[in-house]
Amino acid sequence: MVATGTRGAATPAPDSIARRGTPLLEATGITKSFLHVRALDDVDFAVWPGEVVALVGDNGAGKSTLMKVLCGAYQADSGTVRVEGEEVHLRSPRDAIARGIAVVYQDLALVDHRDVAANVFLGREPTRAGMVDKARMVREARAVLDDLKITIPSVQTLVGLLSGGQRQAVAIARAVHQGGRLVFMDEPTAALGVQEQAKVLRLIADLKARGTTVVVVSHNLQHVFHVADRIVVMRGGRKAGERDKGGTTAEEIVGMIVGADRLMPAPAGV
Amino acid sequence: MARASAAQTDDLASPTLDTLSPSALRRMSLGQILRIRELGIFVATVAIFAFLAIARPDTFLTEFNLLNLLRSISFIGIVAVGMTFLFIAGELDLSVGSMYAFLAVMVGWLMVDQGWVWWAASLGAVALGAAIGLFNGGVTTYFRIPSFIVTLGMLSALRGGALVRSGGTPITGVGGDQPDFYRFTGAQAFGVVPAPILWFLGIVLVGGWVLAKTRFGYHVYATGDNARAAANAGIRTVRVKIACFVMTGALVGLVGAITAGWQRTGSPTAGNQFELDVIAAVIIGGTNLFGGSGSILGTFLGAAVAGMIANGLILLGADINSQPIAKGAVIILAVLLDVSIRRRQGL
Repeated sequence: MVATGTRGAATPAPDSIARRGTPLLEATGITKSFLHVRALDDVDFAVWPGEVVALVGDNGAGKSTLMKVLCGAYQADSGTVRVEGEEVHLRSPRDAIARGIAVVYQDLALVDHRDVAANVFLGREPTRAGMVDKARMVREARAVLDDLKITIPSVQTLVGLLSGGQRQAVAIARAVHQGGRLVFMDEPTAALGVQEQAKVLRLIADLKARGTTVVVVSHNLQHVFHVADRIVVMRGGRKAGERDKGGTTAEEIVGMIVGADRLMPAPAGV
Repeated sequence: MARASAAQTDDLASPTLDTLSPSALRRMSLGQILRIRELGIFVATVAIFAFLAIARPDTFLTEFNLLNLLRSISFIGIVAVGMTFLFIAGELDLSVGSMYAFLAVMVGWLMVDQGWVWWAASLGAVALGAAIGLFNGGVTTYFRIPSFIVTLGMLSALRGGALVRSGGTPITGVGGDQPDFYRFTGAQAFGVVPAPILWFLGIVLVGGWVLAKTRFGYHVYATGDNARAAANAGIRTVRVKIACFVMTGALVGLVGAITAGWQRTGSPTAGNQFELDVIAAVIIGGTNLFGGSGSILGTFLGAAVAGMIANGLILLGADINSQPIAKGAVIILAVLLDVSIRRRQGL
């Protein structure tokens, strides 16, 4: 690969996307190293309310690391994070959840031997007279699933018995129920069959329609183009650029991912 | 898609009660209900009892033997309640047998050598057991090493502690001048029920309630099933695990005190291989040895089975030297059965 030194700031017109108002989440100058490897180098990233943003890049480009910094799982070495204009220090996923930032992890993060209701409420079980209020959990979990048009016959079914798509839906329902105004999804379609992928994509569109902001970390450009309003490309720990979906093509995004965007035309049929 | 269709019928091969919802229970056919794990263990409990009653009517069905049996089931069962929490949280404690001897010796030493009143010495044993549990859990979680290794080390260290503290010989005359101690630990309440049974039933009820109904119980299941998922959801998994170790240690302290009061002795050789009986009770009771599922009701019945097997081996005249072989075989068979049932369930 030829080093081009492309940076978001150096790229002309299509990158200068003006969004209105205060970003829901805004990160500036995020740097993160693991031993001697610089995983993130001075990365700026912002999401505005109601958007679906895709975070794409090759393996090791830094997209997952960026997500983990923004949801409190990793601490950045430097840089600032603002939520609705207010600077915050996200020391744990708990902190992020309290700020309305929730994550749907790639490995689904579900507890297989517990039912759907217990998983939707995982870690935040309501209590009544010292006991977990099971009736309320069942009622509210059902309401959240219905609200998101997720079809699961019984919320008292063990999660381990559900299909991959249903499991993904339960994880997303939990993120929404946690009060997530901004939901990060790490490879939400990666482990699913084609029909299940379509359901998850529809669910993301439904979330957007409800006003939930979504950041999708994904390898799958077809899915990215299907759901995202804006695409942010990471390469080598830096932001290689960003594009509005309407103003770009899959070829251009692939070029940015591999770092050949201005050296050669994209080969046909990518 | 097989998983999806299974979901609609809750088609589990042999579910434990903690994995069944009331509505699922109502929809089950008789055949399915008969395959509920706890019911299976109950049937086994009755079968073993009937077998021993028929095979050894003169020795098994005597008051002396039945009281002894109930006592040993209680000792196994009280600690097994704590061990069930540990198993479900994905950990285990091999040191409970040695801890049992150490804490019984400590009760004897505190009362005989230090002149403590019986209830203070008993509370001391419970607190010391909790502290040992804190150590076991703290080392396991802080250094991220298997609890198997930590508690294997403690199995040896605590046995040594018991021998050192007692000088290698049982401390006798414990509570000789404090009849209340025997009343709460060895006597028969209402003239019939041995005190340890009442302790056991109390612990089972409280433990079962905590595990099935409280947030802590929910977090124990989540921690053992998928620790990363639990942590991502904001559950403090390290604290949950340490709490399970502490609870187990405290229960060992209770059993140590009960034994010292009942036998009026703190013996440094007590509880040899006690950990095997306790672990057998938990596994027979259907608790997943890889964490994430299990129930106190199952453990309650598992303790009855484990106690009757130990009792039966003696009554059936098994050579005292070969009894450990039978005990080991029971554990391995119980695990094999458990694992094969789980593989059929696909969970």
